[in-house]
Amino acid sequence: MDETLHFDAIVVGSGITGGWAAKELTEAGLKVLLLERGRKIEHQVDYETELKAPWDMPFRGEGDADLYAREYAVQSLNRHFTEFTQGHFVNDAQNPYQTGADTAFTWFRSYQLGGRSLTWGRQCYRWSDYDFGANKRDGHGTDWPIRYADLAPWYDKVEDFIGVAGAAEGLPQLPDGRFLPPFALNVVEQAARERIMANWPERRLTIGRTANLTAEKEGHGPCQSRSICARGCSYGAYFSTQSSTLPAAQATGNLTLVTDAAVEHVDYDPATRRITGVRWVDSKTKARHQATARLVFLNAGAFNSVHLLLNSASEAMPNGLANSSGVLGTHIMDHANTLSAAAIMPGFEAWTTFGNRPTGVVIPRYRNMETMDGIGHTRGFSFQGGALQSTWTAGKRAAGIGKDYKNSLEKPGPWRMVLVAFADCVPRATNRLTLDRTRVDSNGIPQLRIDFAFGAEENAALAQAKADATEMLTKAGGHVMFGFDRPGPGGTAIHEMGGARMGHDPATSVLNKWSQAHDVANLFVTDGAQMASSACQNPSLTYMALTARAAAHAVALLKSGAL
Amino acid sequence: MSGWNRRAFLGAATLVALQAAVAGGGAVLGKLDPRDAPSPRRRKLMREVAEHVIPTTGTPGAGVVGAGDFVLVALAHGLSGTRKPPAADPSFAPHLRPDGSLDHAAWLEVRLGAKWLALPPARRHEALAALDAAAYKGEPAAAPWRAIKGLILTGYYTSEIGGSKELNYELVPGRFDPKVPVTPETRAYSSDWTAVDFG
Ligand SMILES: Cc1cc2nc3c(=O)[nH]c(=O)nc-3n(C[C@H](O)[C@H](O)[C@H](O)COP(=O)(O)OP(=O)(O)OC[C@H]3O[C@@H](n4cnc5c(N)ncnc54)[C@H](O)[C@@H]3O)c2cc1C
Ligand code: SF4
Repeated sequence: MDETLHFDAIVVGSGITGGWAAKELTEAGLKVLLLERGRKIEHQVDYETELKAPWDMPFRGEGDADLYAREYAVQSLNRHFTEFTQGHFVNDAQNPYQTGADTAFTWFRSYQLGGRSLTWGRQCYRWSDYDFGANKRDGHGTDWPIRYADLAPWYDKVEDFIGVAGAAEGLPQLPDGRFLPPFALNVVEQAARERIMANWPERRLTIGRTANLTAEKEGHGPCQSRSICARGCSYGAYFSTQSSTLPAAQATGNLTLVTDAAVEHVDYDPATRRITGVRWVDSKTKARHQATARLVFLNAGAFNSVHLLLNSASEAMPNGLANSSGVLGTHIMDHANTLSAAAIMPGFEAWTTFGNRPTGVVIPRYRNMETMDGIGHTRGFSFQGGALQSTWTAGKRAAGIGKDYKNSLEKPGPWRMVLVAFADCVPRATNRLTLDRTRVDSNGIPQLRIDFAFGAEENAALAQAKADATEMLTKAGGHVMFGFDRPGPGGTAIHEMGGARMGHDPATSVLNKWSQAHDVANLFVTDGAQMASSACQNPSLTYMALTARAAAHAVALLKSGAL
Repeated sequence: MSGWNRRAFLGAATLVALQAAVAGGGAVLGKLDPRDAPSPRRRKLMREVAEHVIPTTGTPGAGVVGAGDFVLVALAHGLSGTRKPPAADPSFAPHLRPDGSLDHAAWLEVRLGAKWLALPPARRHEALAALDAAAYKGEPAAAPWRAIKGLILTGYYTSEIGGSKELNYELVPGRFDPKVPVTPETRAYSSDWTAVDFG
């Protein structure tokens, strides 16, 4: 590649947030270089397993356990990882990271064009001022420099573009968005909604808000209710970089996309106190390249953006780029996540469903709002889950062989309902990312090291979540079989975030309220790294809104000559 | 067309699909590490065992669709945790691989006895039913059977016949209908991925 390439902006990473940055910046007229470390996956053309049946697959969709143990030891722990989707997750053996002695952290990653926009669960929830005000209220972490009103118009913009199916509920803790028609609750969920509300008016079981197009939209969709989204969807019926933001960015004629480009360094000029550009390694040839730009957006996924900042230390910034505060890498979070209760739901045997709804249900947070009614914790938890029927796989747990046994498996099985808790994770300085000084990756870059543990607050929240879930499912008519009150390892929720938090004070935060580095005016970090607290909602909608907002600000600064 | 008619109609069309399915199993078997490559006798045993678990009824059974070969491939690759060291039981000792895992197929062959294949079908069925009952009652020495039976189910319900003739298969439902009455014709969908996952 030409050594003298120059752009208005460089975006690092093509996942959920990088796609948005590229779209917004190109649409504003900027010449943008989008760098993606992974391979190119072309919409429709490269969704290799989309139409495959289990019998078309060598291991029938379950995958080669032997291979997974050797090369996908972390990724294969995730339920969305199957033989159909394995090509959309990283090979752990080729992409190692380190964890501290007391840390269990499963880091689920997708290094490819589109990043985890291809594999995500599409749940989209707005944050409220209970969330943006959380740090200020209970003193954990540092206060957010923004509130809901700052982000509301950007949520509108993002939802209008990506399409989010959902039901308006008028809840202050989970503001309604601009929704496409919702998917329906099944019979059991509908009954559970009514019975739970009859007992606890403030607890609202509602359909998941999901970036699947329930109505046709500019040549996309509508969704066919297949629920195989993570294989890639040729209908373009869920939001991914490939289906949505990338075509929009390309349509401007202002985008240069380079895949297999792992950015290793962001270059800083102490004389101008500006970023001058980035350097990258071609993942295939290992050749080194560079480009310059007037501004840089980091969208490599929270931990990878922090990794890049740490690795971009220079003589002028020996502790990492934009790290005069010393907090870079600290206060990382992931929702504390566990199956709180699973119940058999008798009384609905006369009913089944048709089609595969690509979302479950949600019970938004209801604790620690106006009244501090959390036991041992000051924040919120919410539930996701749903009612489902068992099928032939239940036969594995049942005694029997022969004709009657076979016949017993031919009908949809008993109804069950599960509630999975996501609890707010308090930001702690000891939960942090650092560079491992002894081990390097295949490009010679120090590996990322993760130190992480949940604490008393998360454990208390999940204990209460288990008790609440058990009570709710019981009142809904269920017989609770089991539930857990301890979180899975960090990373289980796949909502890892923080490490370059936003804040008022340059002495205690990395970014200002525009997702812009306090130390370096032309550097923006608009993925999960910027989060100062975690709330308990799935975060990506908020990342997208923050990205669009930051892009507008960056463009305004550029046009005014301030950059 | 009513459900039953449709099934009967599909039953007649299965023979063609069958050949393809079995050929598929064979192709993967051919790629196994020689140490895990099964003898013809073992393939026959697993086929018969599978057929006893899920027999041919209105639709072909698990042995007929090649679930036996799938189980052997699956065991060689450690599906369902079968490459993890088993709980200690003296009867497993002769069948442990160098890595400490249990060679489930070898164990089954010995557990059922050298003569099992030669027994009349009713006696075979009895012996297998006894093993199944012991395993599901929690007898440690019978425990490996649960993984084998589980893999037979996987081999069957993810085969074209098990998945789309015995059960229904619809890759593109086109809509979500939240409330459908269950009738005598109702069949589960093998393409209900959530049910398969959490079943
Ligand atoms: C199975 C699953 C289900 C999920 N469900 C939900 C959900 O329902 N709702 C929700 O809100 N969130 C969900 N998430 C999380 C969601 O996917 C992430 O929050 C989101 O993708 C983050 O966007 P991002 O742009 O920051 O990172 P990513 O989408 O991960 O994209 C980062 C991109 O940067 C690239 N990259 C990394 N390092 C470099 C480098 N040095 N140089 C160049 N490129 C680089 C990566 O290859 C990748 O393509 C889910 C995730 C998974 C895996
Ligand atoms: S459920 Fe909808 S969005 Fe998902 S793959 Fe199917 S059609 Fe596409």
